[in-house]
Amino acid sequence: MNLRSLVWNELRERPWSVVSSSIAILLGVAALVAIRHVTVHSEQEVSRQLTSLGANILILPRDASLQNYYAADRNGLTLPEEHVFEVLMAGLPGVEKVTPKLSMPANLGGLDVTLTGILPQSEFTAQAAWQTAAMFTPKKHEGCKKASHVSSGADNTPESLNTSRSIDNLEKDQVILGADVADRSAFSTGDTVDILGGKFTVLGTLSRTGTVDDSRVFAHLHTVQELAKTGEVVSAIEVIGCCEDAAGDLVPELSKLLPHAKVVTVSQVVQTQVGVNRLMSGTSWFVLGILVVVGGASLASAIAANVRERRREIGTLMAIGATPGFVRRLFLMKALILGLVAGTVGCLIGVLTAVLVGPQWAGVAVTPMPGLALLAVGAATLVAVIAAYWPAWKASKLDPCLCFQEV
Amino acid sequence: MIRLENVNRTYVRHGQTVTALQCPELRIEAGEYVAVVGPSGSGKTTLLSLLGGMLSPTSGRIWLDDTSIYEQSVTARSAIRRERMGFVFQTFNLIPYLTALQNVQVPLGLNGVTPDMQVERATAMLSRFGLSDRLNHKPSELSVGQQQRVALARTLVNDPQIILADEPTGNLDPASREVVLNAFDACHIEGRTIVMVTHDLAAATRADRRLTLQDGKITEANQKTAAA
Repeated sequence: MNLRSLVWNELRERPWSVVSSSIAILLGVAALVAIRHVTVHSEQEVSRQLTSLGANILILPRDASLQNYYAADRNGLTLPEEHVFEVLMAGLPGVEKVTPKLSMPANLGGLDVTLTGILPQSEFTAQAAWQTAAMFTPKKHEGCKKASHVSSGADNTPESLNTSRSIDNLEKDQVILGADVADRSAFSTGDTVDILGGKFTVLGTLSRTGTVDDSRVFAHLHTVQELAKTGEVVSAIEVIGCCEDAAGDLVPELSKLLPHAKVVTVSQVVQTQVGVNRLMSGTSWFVLGILVVVGGASLASAIAANVRERRREIGTLMAIGATPGFVRRLFLMKALILGLVAGTVGCLIGVLTAVLVGPQWAGVAVTPMPGLALLAVGAATLVAVIAAYWPAWKASKLDPCLCFQEV
Repeated sequence: MIRLENVNRTYVRHGQTVTALQCPELRIEAGEYVAVVGPSGSGKTTLLSLLGGMLSPTSGRIWLDDTSIYEQSVTARSAIRRERMGFVFQTFNLIPYLTALQNVQVPLGLNGVTPDMQVERATAMLSRFGLSDRLNHKPSELSVGQQQRVALARTLVNDPQIILADEPTGNLDPASREVVLNAFDACHIEGRTIVMVTHDLAAATRADRRLTLQDGKITEANQKTAAA
């Protein structure tokens, strides 16, 4: 019989008391772990997706929101299409590709989709024949060592929309379906579809990206403008730079060139989005911090009640030679075990919840994060021990003469 | 040898100072069997608490051989109780969530005895009190007499020199009372010092000496031999 077995036997004797005294910590840890897992994976997924866009620059209407790079063109605001050619004509160093987009809501076989008009790279080549050839000879950015990404024929598949955000050829009566649209509409390559009153042939379908691009239907920009009767406007212009440095240098140049537009880099959008995530994350820490404090207070109260009901036992232990330190450790070890068990069980519940519901909550696959799990268990244990310190100290100061009294 | 030297213990209750014990001089020799009798509130338990190093005197000194108990630290007094004293309580004070065997192991564990040795010594002590078939029973599963025998086993398992007993027969039937008093007789024969607080005058006659407490003062100190 030693300290550990005394604590263990007492805990085994009152299992429901153990559950009730540690339930708040357990739930707090479960919520903390689940939310943090989903938030962190969501942040990583956003960063991964946006970073994969490389040195992109977005030119948007001045009042457009920056919350989501992929959906930045779906805000109903437009820019004149002539901005596309102004950019090309300016011959700015580091520009590799320019891809305008016009997005609007449409219906495809009863399914609500976003119809996005894009301009294939072949259009620029054709216009260059009667305008100026200079713009299609991308000028290397000083210090940029990366090979040019300019169309070489390798981008002539629908999938290039996912990989390089552009396509070389797209006829005016062709469409490309995003992954969700293809799944839900059951249309496939070669089918004829009807959108905004126009008839199109499906050129292909895209693989899943996990972004709003999955719910888009891509068609030729000028066809979309005609069908939607918008005139020569676009929702956004993507400018693909040769490298990150070039993208950074291009922003002021483009802002000067297009003073009525908003020019941002991918990294700025990422920062905005990560900032929003951080705010949510910080808020969740704050709220969950309160939960942990409530858990600690609940445990402290349970340990204090335990000390009160065991006064005779404490007096007896002291009478037979237990030191005040032993009595203090008796309650601290109990709190440590409760914190450890509640933290571990809460952590398991949190991880399981995040893994199971993460894909539905945030559209991201969640994998367990051992570091976060250990941190949560450690924090729960620490909170429990700190919460129990005062009642444990009071127990160690009890009068041993209690062993003689009816209490 | 235990010696009290000008010991006073007072309490302040509702603004008034109450003297719980006043003892100019008391010696209890090693191996002596002393019964303390007196009405409720006369200071018997206060005396026992003072002797056990659990209640500091307001003034005076209490010596255990050459050691002034209350000049030691709290931890050192715990060590004195652990190594040299054993307590028997009227309500047994067994730990309810431990078995009989585990209850008897507790003092051994506090003294740093290894788990295997704890089991061996606790089992032997419980067998001495006829409880070898009740080792794994919890106090609630034992009769009152069996509980007091477990408590006695717990008291004696560390082989204490001094036994301090507070009304050890107060809650017992005659047969169990006899078991306890016989155990004290045996301890006395083994040379242990026994101080037994009791209301049971018949039990008190088995002691070498009887101290009578009245209003916190020791008014009588009858030698058994003298009484006889």
